[in-house]
Order: sequence, then C-alpha cells, then structure tokens
Amino acid sequence: MFGLPLDFAAPAALVALLGLVALYWLLRVTPPRPREEKFPPLRLLLSLTEKDATPAKTPWPLLALRLVFAACVVLAMAGPLWNVVKNAAGGRGALLIVLDDGWAAAPTWGRRIEAAREAARDATDSGRLVALVPVSRGGEEVSPLDADGFARMLDALAPRPYAPERAAALPAIRSFLARDAQAEILWVADGLELGGAGAFAAQLKALAVGRNVQVAADAETPLAISGVDSATGALSATLTRADAHAAEGGRLRALDSQGRSLGEAEFAFGAGLAATAKFEMPIELRNDIARLSLDGEAAAGANWLIDERWRRRRVAVLSGASADLSEPLLSPNYYLARALQPFAEIRRPEPGAVDPLASLIAEKPSAIVLADMSVAPGPQHDALDAYLRGGGVLIRFAGSRLAAGDDDLTPTTLRRGGRTLGGAFSWETPKHIAPFEAPSPFVGLPAPDEVTVTRQVLAEPEPGLVDKTWARLADGTPLVTAERRGKGLIVLFHVTADTTWSNLPISGLFVDMLQRIVARANAAPGAVAAGAAVLPPRQTLDGYGALGTPPNDAEPILESFDGPGEAKHPPGFYGAAESLRAVNALAVGQKLALADYAGLPRRAGGLETSPPVDLKPWLLLIAVFGFLADTLASLWLARPRGFARAAALGLALLAVAAPSPRAQAQISDPEAALETHIGYVASGDRDVDETTRLGLVRLGEVLALRTSAHVAAPVALEPARDELAFYPLIYWPIVASRPQPSAAAVQRIAAYMKNGGTVVFDTRDALDVRPGGAPTAEGMWLRNLLAGVDTPELEPVPRDHVVTKTFYLLDHIVGRTDMGETWIEALPPRDPNDHVSRPARAGDSVSPIVITSNDLAGAWAADERGAPLHPLTPGSPRQREFAYRSGVNLVMYALTGNYKADQVHAKDLLERLSH
Amino acid sequence: MSADRKASAAAKLPGISAEAATLAARLPSLTLAARRVAESVMHGVHGRRRAGPGETFWQFRPFVSGEPAARIDWRRSARETRAFVREREWEATQTLWLWIDRSKSMRFSSALAPCQKLDRAIVLALALAELAVRGGERVGLLGLTRPMATRGVVERFAEVLAAAEREPGEPLPTAARLPARSKVVLIGDLLSPADDIARAFAALGGDSSQGHLVAIADPVEETFPFAGHTEFLELAGPRRLRAPRAENLRERYLSRWDAHREALRAAAAQRGWDVLAHRTDQSAATALLALSARLEQGG
Repeated sequence: MFGLPLDFAAPAALVALLGLVALYWLLRVTPPRPREEKFPPLRLLLSLTEKDATPAKTPWPLLALRLVFAACVVLAMAGPLWNVVKNAAGGRGALLIVLDDGWAAAPTWGRRIEAAREAARDATDSGRLVALVPVSRGGEEVSPLDADGFARMLDALAPRPYAPERAAALPAIRSFLARDAQAEILWVADGLELGGAGAFAAQLKALAVGRNVQVAADAETPLAISGVDSATGALSATLTRADAHAAEGGRLRALDSQGRSLGEAEFAFGAGLAATAKFEMPIELRNDIARLSLDGEAAAGANWLIDERWRRRRVAVLSGASADLSEPLLSPNYYLARALQPFAEIRRPEPGAVDPLASLIAEKPSAIVLADMSVAPGPQHDALDAYLRGGGVLIRFAGSRLAAGDDDLTPTTLRRGGRTLGGAFSWETPKHIAPFEAPSPFVGLPAPDEVTVTRQVLAEPEPGLVDKTWARLADGTPLVTAERRGKGLIVLFHVTADTTWSNLPISGLFVDMLQRIVARANAAPGAVAAGAAVLPPRQTLDGYGALGTPPNDAEPILESFDGPGEAKHPPGFYGAAESLRAVNALAVGQKLALADYAGLPRRAGGLETSPPVDLKPWLLLIAVFGFLADTLASLWLARPRGFARAAALGLALLAVAAPSPRAQAQISDPEAALETHIGYVASGDRDVDETTRLGLVRLGEVLALRTSAHVAAPVALEPARDELAFYPLIYWPIVASRPQPSAAAVQRIAAYMKNGGTVVFDTRDALDVRPGGAPTAEGMWLRNLLAGVDTPELEPVPRDHVVTKTFYLLDHIVGRTDMGETWIEALPPRDPNDHVSRPARAGDSVSPIVITSNDLAGAWAADERGAPLHPLTPGSPRQREFAYRSGVNLVMYALTGNYKADQVHAKDLLERLSH
Repeated sequence: MSADRKASAAAKLPGISAEAATLAARLPSLTLAARRVAESVMHGVHGRRRAGPGETFWQFRPFVSGEPAARIDWRRSARETRAFVREREWEATQTLWLWIDRSKSMRFSSALAPCQKLDRAIVLALALAELAVRGGERVGLLGLTRPMATRGVVERFAEVLAAAEREPGEPLPTAARLPARSKVVLIGDLLSPADDIARAFAALGGDSSQGHLVAIADPVEETFPFAGHTEFLELAGPRRLRAPRAENLRERYLSRWDAHREALRAAAAQRGWDVLAHRTDQSAATALLALSARLEQGG
C-alpha cells in the first residue's frame, strides 16, 4: 500500500479516519480544564458582570497529540500488517519447489522450511498451485498441491542424514514441467556441491528454458567432519568446509556411546578449507569415544561415528632376536615399531622380564607381533593359544628361528627351509607382489612394483591354502597367510620383519597391511569378533546428527561396505552391539565444495524470510501512552502545582497495578510471628483439612485448659509458599490421592526440619497396615515425599522416650486408633556405663520428625459444642482422653524439648549444689 | 519517600508548606523579623530614648473624706500626718491600639509573594508594638489584650496571637470598642465592600482618635498576572469564577481595584484616618518607617 510493505486486514475500518476531522473541530472548541487559582479579591472580580463567552482554544500540541492517538486507535482497528511482500515472480502456472534435504540443509532447516512456506504462501495467495520435490524423494511422482496439502507435506519433512543425489529428482521435474507449461521453479539449495549440485543445476537450466527458475540459497554452508585419524598420542579429526569465508573455527566434542562428553578440542581453519582437531587423552578414555560431534552444528555431517577401526590398538611386539641395542636399525623391532606407531600403542617387554610373552599377554594387547620367534610347547604356548582363542590376533614374521622351529601357531604348515630368490645360487629374480584378491583384507591396497621378496618360507601345499592366503607373490606363492583360531586370528608374514628377506618392511604397503590387520583386532580381545557378513542397522543418525532407532527403510550393510551413508544405509552404527561398525555421512577424506548453480538466477535475500508484523498491538500501545501523556499534560495545564502530585499518584497507581506475589505471600507472616501457632499442611482434601483444623483448634483449647501453653488458632500452610519458621510444630495428615508437593516445597520442609522444626506426619492408616505386608498407599506417599529429605534414623517411640513424659505419663501415642506404631528419631544408645535408672531419655534436640498412623487430629476434632466428630477404634472410654494427652505431650515436646529429661536429674543437681 | 526528598518537595512548593505550617509554628520567626524591622526603624528615625519612670504613677493627692479607705497609700501617708491617695493618670497617656485582620483571606500568598499577607501584618504589628513600648507608650491588641508597656510585649502579643489562632477573626474590627482619643493602627487586606468598612469604622467608636489603615495586598492582587482559561476560587467561601480568558479581565479588574482603594480612602477620610498601601513583596521596614513617621507626626 502506497509503495510501502503495509497492508490492512480490515481496510474498511480506515473510514473512521474521516471522524478525525470531526474530532479536530470538537477538540478545538473544547477548552482544557481550567487552571485553578485562589484569589482573595474574588468579590471584585465577580462584580465585573459581563462574561467573556469565547472559550480558550485547546493548545495545538495537545490537539495534535489527541488526533494522533485517535488515529492510532483507528489504524490499529484496521489491522495493519507490515512487510506483506508479494514475491516478484507473479507467474500464472504452478510453483515447483525443489528442496534440498540432505544433511547439509539441517543446520538451517527451519529457515529453509520457512522460505519454502513463504514462497508457497505467496503462490497460493494468488491462486496458484504448489508442488514440492524433496530431492531425497526425487524418484516419486510430483503432483501439485493446494495450500493445506503443501503445508502438511512440508511439516512432515525432515533433513536426511546423507547427501541425496539430486539427479534422481530430474525425471519427476521433467514430467511435471511437461504437464504445466507455465510452471515456475524455486530451488531451495543447501549450497554444497555434495549430491551433484552442479550437474543438477545445468540439467535444470536446460529443462526450464523460458521458465522462471530461481535458486534460494544461503551464504552459510555447513562444516563437516571428514575423517578421524587415530595417530600417536592423540585422536585427530579432520574437518572440512566448502567456503573459505565460513566460520573460522569451532569446537569438537568427543562423546562416548552413552552420549557423555569425554573431551573437547578446538580447531581453526585459518585460510584453508581443512582443519584438524586433536583430542589428547589416555588411550583407555580415547577408546571409549564413540562419536565426535561439532558444537553448535546440528547436522549428520557434523558428527563422526567411531567404531573399532578408529580405536587405537595396543600391540605387543616381541622379537626372537636377542636384544641387540648396538645395531637398532637392523632389528625387526625397529621396523615394526615404525610401522605400527601411527595407529597403535606399542608394548615391548620390560627389559629383563623373566617371561616376556606372559607379561605382554597380561597387558591384554589387541594384537601380538612375534618377529621371527618360535613358540615351544609349554606354558608359553598354552598362554598364547588361550589368548588366541579368546579373540586375540597373532601376527608372526618368518625368519631363521621360525623356519627352524616347529610350532602349530601358524596358519598353515610350513615347509622346512626357505626359498631364496635372486641370490647367487638362484636363477630366479626377486619376486614382486601380486595384486590383492577378493577375500583378502588387503583388497584395495596398491601392490607397488618396488617391493621385492628375496627370501621366504614356503607353505606346504594343502587343501584350503588358497583361502588362507591374504597376499601372494607374482608367481602365486603365499606371502601372507592367515587362519582363524578360535575367536582369534593368526597372520603369518612369510618374510622377516627386517629388510634381510625383503624390502617390504620399508615400504608404505607394510604400514597399510599392518594397519588393516590390526584393525581386525578387537580393541580388547575377549570380545567376539563379528563373523557375520551382513550387519543390520542398530542405531542411525538423523539429519540433525542425533542417534536414534534406524528408520524402517534402512537396510543392513555388507561387512565390506565402505562408503558414506546413503538412502538405504543411513549413517549410523551397524552390526552387533559388541562389534559395531560405523557408517558416516562423509567418506574418509571427502572434501566439501561450494555448489555451482550454472548461472541460474539467485533469489534476492537468499533464505531470508520476513513474516508480516502485526502492528496492531504497537499502535494500541502508542495510543495508550498518548492518552497517558495527554492526561498528564492536561493536569499540568490546569494546575501546575497539582501536577507533581497527580504524576506521583499516577506512577503509584502504575506500581500498584503490578503487585508482587511475594508481597502478598508475606502478609500473614507478622501475625504468625506474634503468637504461637500450630501449623498444618493443607492436603487439599476438604474433609481431612477441616478435620485437622477442628482437631487442632480443640487441642489448643485442651492445652489452654490444662497447661500454661497458649497456642493461637491453627494455620493452614502451603510449604512451597509460606514461611515455616514461625511454627514449632507442623501437623501433616497424609492423603494418598493428592499429588506430591513440589520439589521446592520438599526442600523447604527439609530445611525446616534441619533448623529445628518438628513435623508430625500422620498416615492415618493404622487399620490398613498389615505387619510384613505391602506398604499402604499413604505409606508409599510418605516414602516418596521423604525421599528428598535427609531423614534421621527412626525408631518406634520407646517407653522411656521423653515425648511420653513431657506432660502426661503415656505408654504410647494414641489417636483414633491405638494400635498404630509411632516413629520418632532414634535416641542415642544407652550409655553402658550409666547404671542409674533413668525414667526418661532424650536426645540433644527435639526430633525433627514424628510419624504416626493413628489419625491424631481425627480423635481431637470436635464441633463447636465440643462433641467429638469421629468415632474411635477400638473405642474404650478413656481413648479420647489419651488422644488429647498424646497431643498435649507432642506439643509440649515440640515446645520444651528435652527439658523433662533433664528435670529428672533435678534432685541430683540440687544435692550436688548443696555441697 | 526519604526525608530529604520530602523537604525538597516542600521547598519547591512553598504554597503547600506555608499552608501546612501553623501560625504558631511561624510566630517565633515572625517575632524575630518584627524585632529586626523595629531595630532598623528605631535607629533610622528615633535614635533616642525618652527617659522618665512611672508611666502608671501620676501623683499623690490628699485623701478626701468620703473616699474608700482602701485607696489610701499607706506608705506615702506614713511620712506625713495626712493621708494620701495614689492616683494613676493612665487615661492621659497615649495608648496605641493595634488590630490585625486574621480572616482567611489574609492567609494567602501567591507565587510572587515571599510570605502570606497575615505574616506581614503580624510582623508590622509586632514591630510597631516594640517601637511604641520603647518609645514609652502603651500598646494593646484591639479585642485581644489590654494595653501594656512591658518590655516583652512582642512575645506577649505573639502568645496571644497564637492562642487566638484557633478562631479566625473577622475581616473587619467589629467586636471591639475603641477608647476615646487613642491611636489605632488597623492592618488588613481590607477587601470588604467600602460601605461595610465605613460602617465598621464608625462602629468602632473612639471619638477623636487618630487612625491609620495599612492595606496589605498580595502582588497578584495588584497586578493580576493571569492569562488563559482560569478558574478563580475564593479563600473563605464557596464562590468561584471561571474566566475563559483571564487576560481579558485584567484592565477592568485593575480599574475596579483602584476604585476599591479609592473608596477605602474615602471611608477612612470620613474619620480623618489615612491609608497606607503595602504589598507583601515590598520590604516590611519601608511600611514600618512610613507608619511610625505618621504616628510621630500625629503626636
């Protein structure tokens, strides 16, 4: 309206603006309230008979103010909406919204949905249809929707944890465009090339020649984790970003399988597109890491799930060669250590250990590497065998000792004596390694030409040797053989771990081979190695990077599955709980790149949406303030002196208009502090509360009649709200059907008991209690309540407890029933050296808690004529009297504490004083 | 609200505080002001003190038989063989009567005035009393005290005024009768109709007395600085006047005011009295000087 992004919900109301003209004239002639002046010679004025009939005009600022706030009210009633933008694309055909819903869209998902919603609203408002293609569901047919259908479909969408291939959506788009010649396209893109954005954009451009196509994309692109390296001493994660101008750095968090945070690491990109975050922590803790998560980014790509492969293994290295420290570069240990270092924790035997193998096995390594060492039958052999069967991995290297020795801890039977190639006595040249074949775990590793083998031990040809062979030479002789032994694995390199037999140990391949072997080892042997070839999904990430139950359409992966998550195999954990396999949203080392939209026009403002702002409340607010200002101004004009008073009054009224609840709650406090009251907690059950009140009133009368204690009327308390400190005794009848008090209330009750108050809980369930039976509902209620309270040790009231002596001599506490037990804070045990017979005992303080089940207040309660309200059980004539006496004693106990217990010593004290 | 803020609020609103404080509370400061004003006038004009004891004693005269024996002054008679009577010639001395208008309309001060009209009237009256006593004359508050010539006359009068504060007085001296040949000073705003004033003067009696009127006015009453929509309220009564444009009234009001003063002078002249106009924003000393000069002049 008027070139402004302003619209009115009820423009008809604007007609009332015409009334402003009338208002202007009216206000102009209505004078302001006159200023009052005291004037003693009024008589002289009154004698000036003729009157000036023309009233003073309203001052123009006041007039303007009144007109403005009247206009505000009129405008507010017209329902003004700011920022109602009509999208420029005012086509006639349907609007096809292509929505990227891969993980890259997750961090800004809300804005994407809003952008789509707004675009759809603009279209549907002008009577067009809308269609929605989430790229993850590109294969489905696209059909135009009305506003409701679109909203339902949009609401049901959630970002996917993988990067869907956008090309899959093209056929559906093509057929949709074919049906609607005027259709327009809005592509809400996530900004990453991931999922074939460039190709998709080019295809889209070709498809939609002559149509209006727009790309709505954000300047922001997400960060992602593209790999984890379990390097020496630290777990390092590689982060990648597509935009060099994106976030500088951030914080990576390591979580264990329960989602608890184990550590944090900072990273910074600098000017590049990759960053590294290092977690330096002990290996045990590091191996607990199940997941790395990028702080502040909710996307599947910002999470990296870690399974056994990235756990750092402990590998024990033992060599048969005598420790020759003078030539370390010739020792197999040196090559092994260098090769294992990047991914494993190396354990060597203690120098001078009596039985190095046993001590290493005791350390529970993931794998044991024996370099040219034969294991003689005996305890060593047995220990190693047990280790193997328990799931350990044994990696052996050939050598002169192995060739000479004879043990069964090899994958295959070895032929005595080795074979030498390329030597002086051989006419064969050193052999190269053949490319790795399918069952071998080394598949995918390059077989470099420069690796040559000059000598090796040979396997005895036997059935099954081919299956056991993981690597072979170019002529087919096995180079690495392996065999499962129990749950474990024996791997034999038919060459030495040093360079005497081959140059394999100084090639990069050696490291990779060892890494793959060690990766097959369990982090902690003893766990079952997964033999299943098919791993069902166990937990998968959603688009936002939260682990949850797998979707229905998630399919199991093959054990050989090695790639980023996809629609059928969403990122997550697969396989059995004890040997989970992680599938991540990104492939290891994957790089992110910015999308190239092939020259498709970008929508101005990207994903920015600007929902219309309703100006009505603001206008009304302005009108109210204008009215206030006008009132004050009129007052001031009328009586400058009275103005300050009136303004103060107005402010005071404003202050009164918002009274604080605290002020209300404390109104009763001073009254409560002036007299002694017995408090009771209103349960909310009307009958019980009335009975309690009447009972306590009657008890107060009894106290006043018989004792010097005067208690005022009982006070119903709300523990969460009222100050409890004024009440020496709080009676709490328990009604199981009522909800538990709030935690804050329980806390205040606990504090009250800690600070010396006494609470009498009355479960009133003596008739329902069965000895040894299940606790009653009231009992359970009380237990739940006291779960949050530091309750002292309780005991049934002993015969000599001071509470039975404070005023009357009682046997026990009696109420409507007399068989219920009454519990009180346990007294300290009787001093064994104290042989004096004491009639009463007391602790150092009043028990903070008394629990009875005899319904005391029920027995006390009486109507206004003093007639008891409730019958007693069993109902002996003296029972009610004893109930009153119990009450008197309880109140006296709360008021006087252990005074009576001390009083029994009075005779002794007097005697002692007289000497 | 803290005490400071209360005080500052009161300071900003003199009207409120002045109304709140009672006359009794203000009297000490008024008496001080009166003494200070009296001092300045004495040094300015008199500069001398009249000597001579015994204003009350006049003479002893021989006892005439037939008189009550109680009149005999025995101390004087004991020195001679005759009996003497002590006579007081008090009627012969000049007595100054003061009257202050203590009606409600006097308890008014506008924003332009430093004090209420009543305060100024009291200051003038007390200062005059002080002057008169020091000059050897007797002073009385008309209708409130008998004439006295004591040194502490200012304090005595102040006490009397404070005690009489409870019933606000009439705007004109009606209840009292003046003795003959006395001097009288009437201080008030004298806003009553001129006829009433003349009637009241006549009713005062006191033939051949010498009178001076002090007409005290608030500056507002003389200048009428009002403008705009204004409602004028009476202090004493319920009457009010709503003036849509007060500025239009000014000319006519001022001429009416002058007419009233003229009528007042005429009423005073009937008895041979004169009128001294005084505004509360003027110095009290000026008024006192003029007044005492007139009193001196009249003998």
